[in-house]
Amino acid sequence: MTSTDLSTARAPSARLSLVLTGLSVGILVVSLAANTVDPRLLDGAPVWAKPVKFALSFVVLFATVAWLETRLSPRWRDGIVLTATLALMGTSLVAEMAYMMFQAAQGEPSHFNLSTPFHTFMYTVVMFVGALVLVVGIGIFGVVAACDRDARLEPGLRLGVVLGFGLSLVLTVIVAGYMGGQAGHHVGTPSADAGTLPLVGWSTEVGDLRPAHFLSLHAMQVLPLFGWLLDRRMPGHARKGIVLIAVIYCVATFAVFAGAVAGRPLIGM
Amino acid sequence: MTLEQVFSASGTLAMIGWVVLIFAPRRWAWLNLVPQIVVPLALSVLYAGFILAYFADSGGGYGSLAEVRQLFSLDELLLAGWIHYLAFDLMVGGFLAGRMDRIGIQRIVQAPILFATFMFGPVGVLLAFGTEAVVRVATPRFAKA
Repeated sequence: MTSTDLSTARAPSARLSLVLTGLSVGILVVSLAANTVDPRLLDGAPVWAKPVKFALSFVVLFATVAWLETRLSPRWRDGIVLTATLALMGTSLVAEMAYMMFQAAQGEPSHFNLSTPFHTFMYTVVMFVGALVLVVGIGIFGVVAACDRDARLEPGLRLGVVLGFGLSLVLTVIVAGYMGGQAGHHVGTPSADAGTLPLVGWSTEVGDLRPAHFLSLHAMQVLPLFGWLLDRRMPGHARKGIVLIAVIYCVATFAVFAGAVAGRPLIGM
Repeated sequence: MTLEQVFSASGTLAMIGWVVLIFAPRRWAWLNLVPQIVVPLALSVLYAGFILAYFADSGGGYGSLAEVRQLFSLDELLLAGWIHYLAFDLMVGGFLAGRMDRIGIQRIVQAPILFATFMFGPVGVLLAFGTEAVVRVATPRFAKA
């Protein structure tokens, strides 16, 4: 037997970060398929918009982690700390996406849904813990990037990873922590035919906490990218440049956050 | 045996196959044969019996949705269709598990993918191939880095 033989050809384990990137791609494909067929709306957005956006975000998250692992020394990369971290992040990925897709299929909200004890438990315990594990996991990778002396990271890139991953943790805890304490992601009540930005669906009419959440989560891509760029364009000043960019990024995130809290849309129309 | 009893027996049979596939160790070839060959073959025999015996009676066919609905209007054929799902989904699950084993996808990740295959066949197929595609494309680059 060739294609169905389970007992032979034990391959070495594939990198878990790559496997989780792949699983996220699969989830994205499935969600896009449902989004194409399903006409139902939830609060004016297609019911599958949330699973699609989250799946895409998970693809980017785990691809970034997988990239970082290529730069870490084998001692850290294959060590118990990162292996356990990724196992927990993978479990959270599955739990978060499974519940979001289950709720999308029901045509019901997943976040902010306190309608029954079950939904309350899923939102306030399962999704909360899952999200926390994911951002803390990102933070742990940031710390490892700082500690791993043998990592193949140039100075600007290393600081970009450390600050980017660190800010993703800290800013997300602040922004998403605040958002989770509210009744929903809007500040104010959008009208029935309210305008939204294309693709992302952020309100153009009232305050919307999601743009700040987006910025906080993606510091882990933006700052390493700048680090890589500065290492090439301004070697010698790369570290200073990254610190400056990190400060600007924080200020921008807080400005967007404050605007949303005050009830202003990111882009008014 | 009533149709409901056949339904429930075939469900139990399929369930045994899925439990072995998802949870059991893979080191014994004889155990792997349960989900891959034994259960699907048993279900196939059951399917063949029902579909061949009742196809003509139903007056349905494969040409349009209406014909298929006519086909499934007969409980014996509704049961046959269900057993078809059970047999093929399990076989596909075994096939996917073999592919995932060969590129080293961890059992903990295989479990939700196989569960999705158990519940919604093709959804699991998409998840498995999405995962495999990224691992296959990126692993050589990873090894080089």
